Amino acid sequence: MAQIIITIEDIPAATADKKLKLVKFAGQLDESNVDEKAKGIYDLINATPQGLFLIFDFEKLEYMNSKSIGYLTDWYTKLSEKKGGIVIANARANILDILQVVGLTQLIKCVPTIEEAKASIN
Amino acid sequence: MEENSKEPVKITIILPTNAYFMSGIRDFTLSMIRNMTHFSEQWAYRFQSVVDELCNNAIEFGSAPGKEITVTFINHPDESIEITVEDTGTGKSKVTAENLKKLVAERSQPSYSFKDIRGRGLAKIVAAWTDELEFTDRKEGGIKVRIKKYLNQPLQPVSGSVQSDPTHVVLTI
Repeated sequence: MAQIIITIEDIPAATADKKLKLVKFAGQLDESNVDEKAKGIYDLINATPQGLFLIFDFEKLEYMNSKSIGYLTDWYTKLSEKKGGIVIANARANILDILQVVGLTQLIKCVPTIEEAKASIN
Repeated sequence: MEENSKEPVKITIILPTNAYFMSGIRDFTLSMIRNMTHFSEQWAYRFQSVVDELCNNAIEFGSAPGKEITVTFINHPDESIEITVEDTGTGKSKVTAENLKKLVAERSQPSYSFKDIRGRGLAKIVAAWTDELEFTDRKEGGIKVRIKKYLNQPLQPVSGSVQSDPTHVVLTI
């Protein structure tokens, strides 16, 4: 079974109407673990009424399958409806490649560093 | 094994209908493409995704728990890689090869809007990263999906989202 560790930490936001969280992924997101792990992200989204921005740090994410991409799209849609969003940072070449082929890079901003992700939100 | 042999090399893996085993199959795919073919590193990762998506579909829809799926890799040296994934037809979906072909054609359209978490694997990943994608009904029951990717054929743009990348690298010593 593939291993994935997801850690979440708060980041100071520039304005009071925004809440920022850094979500770090380490390992592989696949069919064997994604449904279970997705629940934690939904809990995060549901717990914040408005203006939640998630920075997904993909530096240590080795693999993601199409269902993970489906969840990513759904999280983005739900956050956008509540004036929030997702920015992806530090993604490896193979992860960017698969995000690009499904067209997700046209929807979700992908930047090389956490600092650029913060700047794009603030 | 003769290193310069041009004979196709066929490797078949039979695994239980359980996604638990897929990380091992992905590792094998990456290693096999790197060590046995001249496809680039980028393509090694792409085949990893292609195999994973095909197997996930077979596990979720094609073969019942307790049954099996069969993955076959055929390396045609310096020409192509061919991969087949077969299920037993005992799973929850009774779709035919023709239905599956139509489904992929529909979902591959740039205007198609995905409403569900699932459904992108075959249409957006497997179809985009292969030169041939074929579905056939097995006479024993179930579906066989066969993909082929040629070494020297550049990737064709799909849905305006994929750049033309080389399929291989040439090292000059």
